[in-house]
Amino acid sequence: MTDGHLFNNISLGGRGGTNPGQLKVHSGGILWKKQGGGKAVEVDKADIVGVTWMKVPRTNQLGVRIKDGLNYKFTGFRDQDVTSLTIFFQNSCGITPEEKQLSVSGRNWGEVDLNGNMLTFMVGSKQAFEVSLADVSQTQLQGKNDVILEFHVDDTTGANEKDSLMEISFHIPNSNTQFVGDENRP
Amino acid sequence: GDNHATAKTSNDLIAYKNVNDLPPPRELMIQVDQKNEAILLPVYGTMVPFHVATVRTVSSQQDTNRNCYIRIIFNVPGTPFSPHDTSSLKFQGSIYLKEVSFRSKDPRHISEVVQQIKTLRRQVAARESERAERAT
Repeated sequence: MTDGHLFNNISLGGRGGTNPGQLKVHSGGILWKKQGGGKAVEVDKADIVGVTWMKVPRTNQLGVRIKDGLNYKFTGFRDQDVTSLTIFFQNSCGITPEEKQLSVSGRNWGEVDLNGNMLTFMVGSKQAFEVSLADVSQTQLQGKNDVILEFHVDDTTGANEKDSLMEISFHIPNSNTQFVGDENRP
Repeated sequence: GDNHATAKTSNDLIAYKNVNDLPPPRELMIQVDQKNEAILLPVYGTMVPFHVATVRTVSSQQDTNRNCYIRIIFNVPGTPFSPHDTSSLKFQGSIYLKEVSFRSKDPRHISEVVQQIKTLRRQVAARESERAERAT
């Protein structure tokens, strides 16, 4: 890929919804700029520790995990972009993107995965959703089996979405052995 | 036998088979997909589907600042009359999403969503109990 390849209509997803913008891939890494200016995300290729692809409704989502544990999610890639970007990450960064699958079965039971500061709810080895623990303001244990995560709220909450996630709770039955005696549990 | 019928009930409740069966992405807000008996929740910029049969209760409330909240409680094992008793045995050790709450800018949309979820939930529950009865 030549230096400075541009992808239009790429949105950055996160706590407050999505922001439309443009992603530039160059020999030094990647740069995403919000449409109309403002927010930008710059990632040096040396800081990239993992790259994932996931098919989401009608498009593709790129996940870029960096050294400090942050995970950026860019949505809006065509199938041919996936091919060309995969080659870029392999050649320039020496990283082979992993493929993830989105769970669409609609089940509410599965597993919780913790990786960096991301919490992923997996249903049948597919990803149902992912939240960042950096956005969690408080965690509470309710009873013996329920864990509640409360998300930060400020003026920018829900800037790009009508409905904003405020709280989420998980029920961990006694039969679950994954988190027994784990003090780092969220 | 009826063993087969109960197993079928839990297996049948699948919202979507493929990623592209989901409704086209629209505004990031809670949606109800009547046809696929699913509710879609915006989580970190992605619409996440849940089959309406996983929903136990849904409620909304409004605070003095005209903020509107919606709370969805899902079925988890160990609660009476949980329709997932067959699946909770089958998926022992699983972690359950128990509850989500959202703040909304649009109280009218939230009251619509609450009504739609309640109606859809009733329809599916009635159909499933009829099916279970016929199987016995």
